[in-house]
Amino acid sequence: MSDEHFPVIVVGAGLAGCAAAYRLAKAGYDVLLLERGKRPGGKNVSGGRLYSYALEALMPGEWLDAPLEREVRREMIMTMTERGAVTVNGLLSPNHSGTSYTVLRSKLDGWLAKKAEQAGALVMTGVTATEIVIKDGKACGVLVGDERLEADIIICADGANSLLAENAGITNKVTMENIALGVKLVVGLPEQTINDRFNLSGEDGAACLMVGDCTKGLAGGGFLYTNKESLSLGLVVDASSIKSAKTNIADMIEELKEHPAISPLIVGGQLLEYSAHLIPEGGLNMMPKVFDNGLMIAGDAAGFVINSGLTLRGMDYAILSGIAAAETAIKSIQAADYSAEQLNQYEVMLRLNVLSDMETFKKVRGFMKDTAGLYTAYPKLAETIFKSIFTVDGRPAKRISKVMINSILSHTSVWQLIKDGVKGALSL
Amino acid sequence: MKRLSVDERLARNKFESNDETPHIIIDRQECRNCVHKACIYSCPAERYQLNADEELIFDHVGCLECGNCRLVCEKLRESKPGYKWNYPVKGGGVIFRQG
Ligand SMILES: Cc1cc2nc3c(=O)[nH]c(=O)nc-3n(C[C@H](O)[C@H](O)[C@H](O)COP(=O)(O)OP(=O)(O)OC[C@H]3O[C@@H](n4cnc5c(N)ncnc54)[C@H](O)[C@@H]3O)c2cc1C
Ligand code: SF4
Ligand code: SF4
Repeated sequence: MSDEHFPVIVVGAGLAGCAAAYRLAKAGYDVLLLERGKRPGGKNVSGGRLYSYALEALMPGEWLDAPLEREVRREMIMTMTERGAVTVNGLLSPNHSGTSYTVLRSKLDGWLAKKAEQAGALVMTGVTATEIVIKDGKACGVLVGDERLEADIIICADGANSLLAENAGITNKVTMENIALGVKLVVGLPEQTINDRFNLSGEDGAACLMVGDCTKGLAGGGFLYTNKESLSLGLVVDASSIKSAKTNIADMIEELKEHPAISPLIVGGQLLEYSAHLIPEGGLNMMPKVFDNGLMIAGDAAGFVINSGLTLRGMDYAILSGIAAAETAIKSIQAADYSAEQLNQYEVMLRLNVLSDMETFKKVRGFMKDTAGLYTAYPKLAETIFKSIFTVDGRPAKRISKVMINSILSHTSVWQLIKDGVKGALSL
Repeated sequence: MKRLSVDERLARNKFESNDETPHIIIDRQECRNCVHKACIYSCPAERYQLNADEELIFDHVGCLECGNCRLVCEKLRESKPGYKWNYPVKGGGVIFRQG
C-alpha cells in the first residue's frame, strides 16, 4: 500500500471527519478516511447532546434514521451545594425549533462512517496516522508508521488531543489553560425507570446541567443526560485547576453519584462504561491557523467548541466544519489549486457560523474561570433563599424581599455580586 | 449506586491493550526529580502511582487515552529523553462501546 495517492485524505472518523468524508463521497470524489480506533466511534466520548440542525445541514432528512437516543424536551439547571440543590426544570413544548438529541458516540460515529462508506468513501480503521508529510511547504500526505499515503489535500480531524497538526508544527501546542478534562459514567437503567424518574413520556429525553459543589469549587460543571436505556453522568473541569488544586476528578465523579440530588436518579443502575476525554475550551484565543497549503483542520483539532456555562457545543461545530472543509476541498480540486490562498475559502465559510458564534462567546471562558462565586457562594445563596422562603418554624414571618436581601448579604458582598453580574452580562 | 474504585470502573470497559509496547513512556529515575508529580492526581484512570519506595509506577493498560498527562507533565509534553506520549497503534487500547 506504499505511495498510494488520493485526492483527499481525512484523518479521524469522529463527527468532523465523518462529515467531511461523507460530503466528499456523496459529491463523487475519492476520499480516504483513516481512523485509529478498531471501529469508528470506539475512541470517542461526548456528553452528549447534539443539536439536529447540524445533521440536517449534513444530510437533509437522512439523519432521521441515525441512532439518536432521545429528543431533549425537559431542560434542567441544577445549582448544587454540598448536600442540597436548587433546580430549575422546564418542559419545552412540542415542535419547538432548535431540537436536540442525546447521543452515544460509539453508535453514532459508527453509523455515520458507514454512511460515508456507502457513499463511496474508503474507510480504514485501526490505522494511526503518525505524521503529516510536508514537502516544499505543502502538506502532501500522511505517514502510517513507515508507510506513506499521498494526497492533494489533508483534512486533519483528529480531535482535541491533536498530535498530528502539532507535530507538523502547523499549530501551537495546546496548553492545559485552554483545556478541560471530562469524565463520564454511562449507567444502565430500564427505559420505564428513566421515564418515571425524569417525568418523561415516550421517547422524550431530559438534559440536566449542574454547577456548584459537583466540581468542589473548581471551574467547570456537571451533566446528566437520559439515553434510551441509560444515563450519561459526567463532569467537565478545567485542567489547570485540577493540577493546581491537586484534586482527583476520578473521585469527584464518585462523590457526585452520592449527592442527595443525584443518587435517587441513578439508584439501582449498572455501570456500563467509564470514560475520559479532553475538551478544547480556549475558544478564539487558542484557535490555530485552520488551513495551510494542502491542509485544513476541522472539529476539536481546530478548537471549535463553545462552553457557555449552560451549554457545551462541539459536536455541531465539528459537523459544520467537516462540511465546510469538504466543500472547500471540492472547489480546490475543481480548480486544481491546493494552495493556502485557495483554501482560504474554508475560513470564509466558517465565518458564517462556527467562527461568528465563537466571536459572540469569546469572553465567556474568562468569566467562567475567574468567577469563583459561581461554584461556591452562588449555589449556597440559591439554597439559602429557598430554605428561608420555605422554612416555617413558628418564628415571626419575614417578607420575601427581606429574606432575599439577608441571604445575599450572608453569602457575598453586594459589590462582588454587582461586579459579577456586570461581567456576566457582558460576557454571556 | 455504590461507590466504585477506578479499577472496578475500568473493569467494565473493553480494552485490547498490547502488553509489550506501552504507548506512553516515562523514566522512573528521572521522575524522582519531579516536584509536582501532577500525573498522579490528574490521570482519571489513576495509571500513575507511587510504590512503597516512592518510585513512580506507570501502567499503560487501562489508559483511557484522554491525553491529560501529556498536558500536565512538561517532560511528556516536550518528549524529553525517556518520555514519550503516543496513541496506541493498530487499533489497540480502549474500545468505548458507549462513548
Ligand atoms: C465529557 C464531554 C462532554 C461533551 N458534551 C458535549 C455536548 O453535550 N454537546 C456537544 O455538542 N459537544 C460536547 N462535547 C464536545 C464534543 O464531544 C466534541 O466537540 C466532538 O466530539 C468533536 O468531534 P471531532 O470529530 O472534532 O473529534 P473526535 O470526536 O475526538 O474525533 C477525532 C477522531 O480522530 C481519531 N484520531 C485521532 N488521532 C488519530 C490519528 N493520528 N490517526 C487516525 N485517527 C486519529 C480519533 O480516534 C477520533 O475518532 C463534549 C466533550 C466531552 C469530552
Ligand atoms: S508529572 Fe511527569 S515527570 Fe512528573 S512524576 Fe509524573 S510523569 Fe514523572
Ligand atoms: S492519557 Fe489520560 S488516562 Fe491515559 S495515562 Fe494519561 S491521563 Fe491517564
